[in-house]
Amino acid sequence: MLFFATTIDGLQMGLCFAVLALGVYISYSILDFPDLSVDGTFPLGGVCCTVLMLKLGIPALPAVLLSFFAGFVSGAVTGVLHVKFNISKLLSGIIVMTALLSVTLALTMLLTKTGLTTTIFSFRSENLQGIFSGRASQLLGSANRDYMILIIELVFVIAVKIIIDLFLKTKLGYMLRATGDNETLVISLGRDSGLYKILGIALANGFVAVSGAMYSNLFMQYDNSSGSGKVVMALASVIIGLAVFSKIRFISDTTSVILGAVIYSLCLNYLVLVDTNGIYLKLLNAAMFALILIFNEKTSSFVSSRSKLKGGQGRC
Amino acid sequence: MLELRNISKTYNPGTVTELCLFENFNLTVHDGEFVSVVGSNGSGKTSMLNIICGSIPLSGGEVLIDGKSINGLKDYQRYQLMGRVYQNPAAGTCPNMTILENMSLADNKGKRYGLSFGVNNTRKEYYREQLSTLGLGLEDKLDVKLGALSGGQRQAVSLLMATMTPIDFLILDEHTAALDPHTAELIMQLTDKVIKEKKLTAIMVTHNLRYAVEYGNRLIMMDKGNVILDKSAEEKKSLQIDDILDIFNRISIECGN
Repeated sequence: MLFFATTIDGLQMGLCFAVLALGVYISYSILDFPDLSVDGTFPLGGVCCTVLMLKLGIPALPAVLLSFFAGFVSGAVTGVLHVKFNISKLLSGIIVMTALLSVTLALTMLLTKTGLTTTIFSFRSENLQGIFSGRASQLLGSANRDYMILIIELVFVIAVKIIIDLFLKTKLGYMLRATGDNETLVISLGRDSGLYKILGIALANGFVAVSGAMYSNLFMQYDNSSGSGKVVMALASVIIGLAVFSKIRFISDTTSVILGAVIYSLCLNYLVLVDTNGIYLKLLNAAMFALILIFNEKTSSFVSSRSKLKGGQGRC
Repeated sequence: MLELRNISKTYNPGTVTELCLFENFNLTVHDGEFVSVVGSNGSGKTSMLNIICGSIPLSGGEVLIDGKSINGLKDYQRYQLMGRVYQNPAAGTCPNMTILENMSLADNKGKRYGLSFGVNNTRKEYYREQLSTLGLGLEDKLDVKLGALSGGQRQAVSLLMATMTPIDFLILDEHTAALDPHTAELIMQLTDKVIKEKKLTAIMVTHNLRYAVEYGNRLIMMDKGNVILDKSAEEKKSLQIDDILDIFNRISIECGN
């Protein structure tokens, strides 16, 4: 029974993190930009959504969608630091991540000042579960609310997937892919590749913020430390997903990433079953990620040696 | 018309490795000229192309197109007027995108890259037609990723992509150097055909003296940042490969190569 409950929990978290992973897929896979600002924009999305819902009384769904813009702006800052001021990719991410620690704290102060609950670092309220409560969550009866939450999350994830898939098929999306693939070509086409980078990082962080907002809704709480380790988690999801599923023809990259996020989060939850005290959790977590990277290294070198062979056989 | 006026270029100024490459370098390329540029390594051929394209900053002088200075334009702005095929076949295409997607990207040069669909199905026939002129059978492989093609095939597609939309200048930067002799010959013939068909003004840097003599209607030899030989169309016709080889050997020996 415990195993079953853990699975449901893992799926709920996994679908929430799938949106995060889809965002990081844009920055990491499409643009080849390992973006560390994700650790800051994830809680930023959470706190923005919380403030919008509980202080400004905005309904849950628009609040979650509006948090996209908070992430978008932060991502744009990362992009501008890198493109316009030539700060390295990692450092511009770290700068924005650090700056956002204060921004999220300041926004949390808005919530805790009124003496509602808890500390300035976290905030909990039953009223925060907006998108997962209400009439929609009761459709399958109150006993089956956990399943309904999964369905609502799935709707979000599929919507984000379709938006990203369609976007990458547009001319603008092509340019984004070309920027990550071969920047020289973008310049040869008479376009400023820097602008596409900024746009891509901004979009990526927008989706990360939406994931943060969903996360707050799922656990009915906002926690300032919820961002730590999200880069690793998202990268692991993207890498697992693409390594395992992208070789299957009819599964698109975005679907692979979603599956990767779900699998990774299930594994994390099962680790809790093994290590009930939670002392070795981070160690196991890191070991698992390392194993995935080693596994991925093996498969990708296999793939590239095979494609080289193909190229050599080509005519001309 | 492209003019390089009083160009000077110094690498690493103010350091021990300071190297003055160009001093008061002048060159004028008229419309419709196909200039082949030869010269030993370090003679400034590629630097000249990079100066024209704005990839490296100038120490002094002016680059003019039709009498107007383009010094203030960034590299990507200059490429709105020019096309370029690089030495590395991978530089002119996107390896992770299909041939169709690459062609669509190039086809859209000079227009907006907005939110309309990237591939316009009504243009597919046109792409097929263009690819079939290459004679490589690529017209049946529209959905194959560029990365899976051979170097020669990629270079052929690069050439097609660079000349797909109307451009004022075509820059060819040793574009046959990384290819085997047979493929290089093929790419060279294609280049000549495209330039003649579209009446392009082109500058081709090459290490192959035979190509320099056979193709194009003007030949320039560079050495240490200077033009030491400039043969126009009429003079070039009577030029033999041995003539240039002699001069080439002389400057090479002076350089100690």
